[in-house]
Amino acid sequence: MTSVKNSVAGSLESSDVLVTVGPAEGEENKLDVESIVFKQFGARIRSVAEEVVAASGVKGAAVRIQDRGALECTLRARLETALERAIKA
Amino acid sequence: MFGLEERALVSPREMVERARLLGSRGLAVPGNESVILGFFEEERLVATGSLVGNILQGIAVDRELEGEGVAATVTSALLKKAMETGRRQLFLYSKPDEAKRFEALGFTLLATATVERTGLGASLLEWGAEGIDMWRTAMAAKAEGGPEGAGVAVVNCNPFTLGHYRLLEYAAAHVPKLYVLVVEEDRSLFPFEVRFRLVEEGASGLKNVVVLRGGPYVISSATFPTYFTRIESGEEERMTELYAALDIELFGRYVAPTLRVTDRFVGTEPYCPVTSIYNRMMKERLPKGGEGWSPVRVREMPRFEMEGLPVSASRVRALIREGGLENVRPLVPESTWKWLVSEEARPVIEKIRNSESRH
Repeated sequence: MTSVKNSVAGSLESSDVLVTVGPAEGEENKLDVESIVFKQFGARIRSVAEEVVAASGVKGAAVRIQDRGALECTLRARLETALERAIKA
Repeated sequence: MFGLEERALVSPREMVERARLLGSRGLAVPGNESVILGFFEEERLVATGSLVGNILQGIAVDRELEGEGVAATVTSALLKKAMETGRRQLFLYSKPDEAKRFEALGFTLLATATVERTGLGASLLEWGAEGIDMWRTAMAAKAEGGPEGAGVAVVNCNPFTLGHYRLLEYAAAHVPKLYVLVVEEDRSLFPFEVRFRLVEEGASGLKNVVVLRGGPYVISSATFPTYFTRIESGEEERMTELYAALDIELFGRYVAPTLRVTDRFVGTEPYCPVTSIYNRMMKERLPKGGEGWSPVRVREMPRFEMEGLPVSASRVRALIREGGLENVRPLVPESTWKWLVSEEARPVIEKIRNSESRH
């Protein structure tokens, strides 16, 4: 089992997203989404995040997404980076 | 943001520039910073921000770059620095009229306070939304089944003396239930776990007393930074009043309703200037209530005296410093005395003897 460390990627700047990963309580992954365009894209952001988190294989991570209107490719890149940093020994 | 160079500020010349930038936006230099960042355009400092422990403070952007999203750049950089050191619970101080800007960046506003006498005001925000809610849920669980109209005493007990015992005994006799919140910040000479245990043991004879950890919202380095540092100039006193006002606002808004508290008990403070400012502000503000919270009675009890001298933790520490541990014995309950002469106490006593610390 990999232990989850605290990690951050991205920023709160306009058109970016800040992804924070830390240990959650238990084995489940926890996902928190905030977005300035939540109404239009909240569901899409969540499904992309769920997909990237699942692909990383991480367990017991609390992932927090603060979206400032990032493109999907930006969101994926930030998520992958934060998760990689969180898992890396 | 593109085109800005970020680097840590270190040189005296950079500090002067930073102080000027902060001053131009009506902000004071925070002090006790662990990280100070500067953002440069060409070689000109155009933005700055700092970390004081787990608090983001002293964030300022040059007027010319206002509205370009530079504050978001500064805040992101500070969040990353804080995260790198493993901190999860982060706070931010801002001017009241700028709190909205940080709320838009994902912070939650906890409280705003202003002091009329000096015109100073501040807002305390927390990063994320879970902190205060989780804390309230945990505290409400502890208070479940408890009565309406409970009492509370916030204590540091560094260490627990007969003076504290008398205060708790008095308070417990006047309310159906008394919550004792022990200041959790570990900046005192006696470690938190020891202070907490000695309060529990010392108060164990009082049946309606519940001893609880103070947590991050009761006189912590976030709510009351100057409580843990020395007061020096007039500026420090003004800041202490401001932080006291914020801490009291948090108490009225979150602590009192969660524990269903109507009375706060406090001992008169003869020695410590910070605590006496705090007590004065509390007596002014809690009985008035605030926006969205009910008044809380403040009941002050004179310090218990023996042979004409107040029995206080600071006097106990002074006596330890002078070397005569035996002289401490009449001032503390048996449980505290037992600990003081235990093996575990030796490094603490050594530290007190070598320290000038107020706490």
